[in-house]
Amino acid sequence: MGLVHGEQMVLNIGPQHPATHGVLRLQVRTDGEVVSQITPYMGYLHRCFEKHCENVTYEQVIPFTDRCDYLSSMSMNFGYVVAMEKLMDIKVNDRVEHIRVIMAELQRIASHLLCTGVYGLDLGAFTPFLWALRDRERILDLFEFTCGARLLYNYMWVGGLSHDIPTGFVESTLEFLDYFEPKVDELENILAHNKILVERSADIGVMPKDVAISYGVTGPNLRASGVNWDLRKNDPYSIYDRFEFDVPVGVGGKGTVGDCWDRFYVRIIEIRESVKIIRQAIASMPKEGDVHQSLPKKIRPPKGSIYARTETPRGDLGYYIESDGSPIPYRLKMRSPAFTALSVLDEIASGWLLSDVLAILGSLDIVLGEIDR
Amino acid sequence: MIKFFSDIYTASVTIMGGMLITLKHLFNAKNGIATLQYPEERWPRPERNIGFDLGSYNVIRSRLHVDMDDCIGCLKCERACPVDCIKIETAKAPERGEDIKDVKHVGVTTNGTRKAMVVTRFDIDMTECCYCNLCTYPCPEECIFMTGGPNSKKHPIDYEFSESNRSDLIYRFAKPGTKEGMDKLLEDGESVGA
Repeated sequence: MGLVHGEQMVLNIGPQHPATHGVLRLQVRTDGEVVSQITPYMGYLHRCFEKHCENVTYEQVIPFTDRCDYLSSMSMNFGYVVAMEKLMDIKVNDRVEHIRVIMAELQRIASHLLCTGVYGLDLGAFTPFLWALRDRERILDLFEFTCGARLLYNYMWVGGLSHDIPTGFVESTLEFLDYFEPKVDELENILAHNKILVERSADIGVMPKDVAISYGVTGPNLRASGVNWDLRKNDPYSIYDRFEFDVPVGVGGKGTVGDCWDRFYVRIIEIRESVKIIRQAIASMPKEGDVHQSLPKKIRPPKGSIYARTETPRGDLGYYIESDGSPIPYRLKMRSPAFTALSVLDEIASGWLLSDVLAILGSLDIVLGEIDR
Repeated sequence: MIKFFSDIYTASVTIMGGMLITLKHLFNAKNGIATLQYPEERWPRPERNIGFDLGSYNVIRSRLHVDMDDCIGCLKCERACPVDCIKIETAKAPERGEDIKDVKHVGVTTNGTRKAMVVTRFDIDMTECCYCNLCTYPCPEECIFMTGGPNSKKHPIDYEFSESNRSDLIYRFAKPGTKEGMDKLLEDGESVGA
């Protein structure tokens, strides 16, 4: 096989391509139809997030974190406030923690719905995409009821939340979950076991355990490769240690462990686990409690630095904050989970056909806003 | 050979399964299950019960508005804005809490605070606004808000604000003539004092 060569060609995919999840250019070197090397060029969405943060106060950073990963803004807020509260040694009350967990898990469902729906769209299935977006819309409505915004929330604040949840939020969330659970089965039936999708994704773009670990890939992509690693279980932050849920791991249901189908299927199972967590959190949420109780009057952390990491829908999000005692951060660094997922693309997609590249890219679930920052 | 036929079998079974699900949806289709006829029908708003003071702040992210009669020129919203889209200039009022008819300046806010400053310029550039709502929280007089908020009767929710000219999106809230009137007033006052 190695002896047969086709015409060598350099092909640009992007920046304007529906399957690049933002603005990304892939320079693909092909040998006939076989991909020999992929070089991702990014930076089209670079907005100087980290430099901006050195010029605004700590509370003004939160709207900027929203805009990094615009598909899971709640989780980005969550990571930042967890880091800041560690740095300032603030303890928030139980109601705030519960609301935060509920919001983060709702956001996880919304993000995974978009990922699975769009993955179907990448491979030519249109109906599941519409269904996924229809259900995601219900979640966005819940967020709009809570904080007024549908995508960029600025909801979690250092030491609390911007608002308490509205009256009737718990009921409408439970109503949504009751409506939603059968829809997940439906989505799985129509998409995951469909022979066309299985043929396009099973055994394609296999990411072995050691490759995933050495590239620093985290989140569902790592778990699909068979590594049981979830920060919510292994290094619990907030109150995740109080809830019971399973960490789904790729088992190679339709082919090899760590193929595209596994990465896709792990997300569907994670949606179910998130539903479990939300139900438990709603059941144990204290009725009373002021969400502004431990809100500091002025955010002026002591001298020092902190690194805190949380589990977003895309993986392990870390914030490194260096404080010099002023109300403005001296340095703020964000470790983005999607960046490592993109960097592994060359390793796992080389040697596959050109049409498989988009299937592999879609299964990694990257968001360019977070990669470029 | 067996694999060939079993592949055909699984393919047809799974595709028929998918078709069955979509077929069910076809017969269960209800009006308004997914599509909202947007300009005619709108999604329901939640009951108002959120905010720092219950009933005073709505959680709408929409057009910013300022009640100029209540603004005391404390610059807190300007400092809170992460993108610096609010620009305020103030001048010292001749006497605290006094109405100045020439520049339509009302001396006392609805909360009873006596104003020490005359706001000569209050511009909000809505093309720069990032709708983070940070400016509305620190306001001591609750006079800056997203429309549809506390004075929702006066200002209904307004999502669809569009202008044909980009500079029309810079909202100038200060009353026209305030700056010139104030300059003249101060000049006269100085000359009288001298």
